[in-house]
Amino acid sequence: MGNQPQQSTVPSPSGQTRQSAGRSAGESIFLTVVYAVIVLFGVVCVVPFWLVLANSFATEGSFLANGYQMLPEAWSLDAYSFLLKGKQLLLSYRNSLMVAVAGTVIAVTITSMFAYVIAHPKVKYRNIMAFLTYLAMVLGGGLVGFYIMVANWLHLKDSLWALILPYVLNPFYAFILVAFYKSLPYEINEAATIDGAGDMRLFWSIIIPVSTPVIATVSLFYAIQFWNDWYLSLLFIDDYKLHPLQLMIRQLISNLNMSAYVGGGASYRVAAPASSIQLATVCLTIGPIVLLYPFLQKYFVKGITIGAVKG
Amino acid sequence: MGFIRELTKNRQLYALAIPGIIFLALFSYIPMVGHLIAFQRFQPVKGIWGSDWSGLANFEFFFGGQDWLRVTFNTVYLNALFLVFGIGAALLLAIFINEAGSVLLRKLSQSLIFLPYFISWLVVSLMMLAFMSSDGLLNDWLGRLGLEGVNWYQNAKLWPFILTVVYVWKFSGYYSIIFMAAIVGISNDYYESARIDGATRLQQIVYITIPSIRSVIVVLTLLGVGRIFFGDFGMIYGIIGDNSILYPTTDVIDTYSFRALRQLGNFGMSSAVVVYQSIMGLATILLFNRLARRIDPDSKLF
Repeated sequence: MGNQPQQSTVPSPSGQTRQSAGRSAGESIFLTVVYAVIVLFGVVCVVPFWLVLANSFATEGSFLANGYQMLPEAWSLDAYSFLLKGKQLLLSYRNSLMVAVAGTVIAVTITSMFAYVIAHPKVKYRNIMAFLTYLAMVLGGGLVGFYIMVANWLHLKDSLWALILPYVLNPFYAFILVAFYKSLPYEINEAATIDGAGDMRLFWSIIIPVSTPVIATVSLFYAIQFWNDWYLSLLFIDDYKLHPLQLMIRQLISNLNMSAYVGGGASYRVAAPASSIQLATVCLTIGPIVLLYPFLQKYFVKGITIGAVKG
Repeated sequence: MGFIRELTKNRQLYALAIPGIIFLALFSYIPMVGHLIAFQRFQPVKGIWGSDWSGLANFEFFFGGQDWLRVTFNTVYLNALFLVFGIGAALLLAIFINEAGSVLLRKLSQSLIFLPYFISWLVVSLMMLAFMSSDGLLNDWLGRLGLEGVNWYQNAKLWPFILTVVYVWKFSGYYSIIFMAAIVGISNDYYESARIDGATRLQQIVYITIPSIRSVIVVLTLLGVGRIFFGDFGMIYGIIGDNSILYPTTDVIDTYSFRALRQLGNFGMSSAVVVYQSIMGLATILLFNRLARRIDPDSKLF
């Protein structure tokens, strides 16, 4: 990579060559700084991921002797086999998956319907609705009222629904969709109205199909949100059988009786390799995200960009 | 009259919005009834409608101690640090990545710096332990340099700095994508004529790139300023947890009201804190939206 700055014919984002002949010494220094900063920042972003992955394979002995290492001295699969022997990992995986899948489907349906109405020029009260949505995003309901609502009035304590329902309308993602719907040509409406289709049919049979790329993007954001959340489970889930993966990580960080928690009871005589179990759980939790990330990155970028254009 | 007619005329459209309105009401607006608890001697058994009123006693209790100053200062100070350094780093990265000639490096670095955005704060906190626990990597490196290790988790003074670094690590990739999208939209003609006039790359950045994406910078800053009284609960509680040694510099309004509720069971004071926070938050938003309208009419939020 050190040689890259010497090339002079690589196109810039706007499609033309920015580097012309006769570069001064100042320009070279500038480019060196540019490359150094980018490479350094890129490395800093990845190192923690590597550290978690590498040390999840460390033996407990190596851990006790050396602590965290970039390359552990002795490698083993103990942590993973210990986790797979117990029930908790599979339970938590199931819970997280169920919440993420059900949550994403419900959330995307509700959000896309809601956003379409806010974006529709025919709707007289769209601005009030948009303002109330924005205000909800900023103020929230307050912890106490929210807690009483979910736990006492809706009776969702120790239910996976408590991890889904409060998040099905995220104003930020709604505004991504609003920005997209507003960019659609209004002629679609007129053509459909002449054909005699009502607004509902228009939405389901024309608008939804043309907006699949944005809906894919918003779905991914929702999926990540549900997968990564632990606030709701911290508030509402006590039953360990309903712990999602994030709460399992939290338990592992604070739980002293680790082998009872992940080993599914005191029957295991072997001491749990505590530190690497934490790390292995983290690897299994972020694994799906990191593995899918290269294929999905462009959708996330698109979503952020659409939202940003609107501001 | 007009209201009913509007609803009947566009009934199909409003019907589409009903589920969203219900959820907005259920989880954002109806819970605001909970603000009443701030003025009560709340007892869970009696509920909101049965508990005795206590006037401003909860507020007097909250504002009577020193805590409110500390948590308010921490919230505003940490958010200001995050905002300045987060947006600054993102802007720098976006500009630098855009200047880099190599397409491969550009793509690769963009992917790498965006990655931390996708993991939860709990995972981040475990990664931090790897670096900053007493036998973590940082102390290992310090030891090799012949320096003494630092008790990171016992030293409250360091944490505004540490949290800022972590925030920049997690979010500058995300924000830099917003900036890059804006930079790509700048017409190449400007750079062309600047080069003909002999402008250096640095001058092009200062006089063309940054002014061109000014409104994006203003919007992001205003969004951040609007939320300056709202701490990131997931971040602070995920990283600090119940480590009370670090409270002097890291306890924010959100973690404070959470602990008042979960650990002390003090519903009244927890609500009073939230009411105080909402009022401050609403005031800042209204103020800064007006300001935004004046600076740059395009960047007003509503």
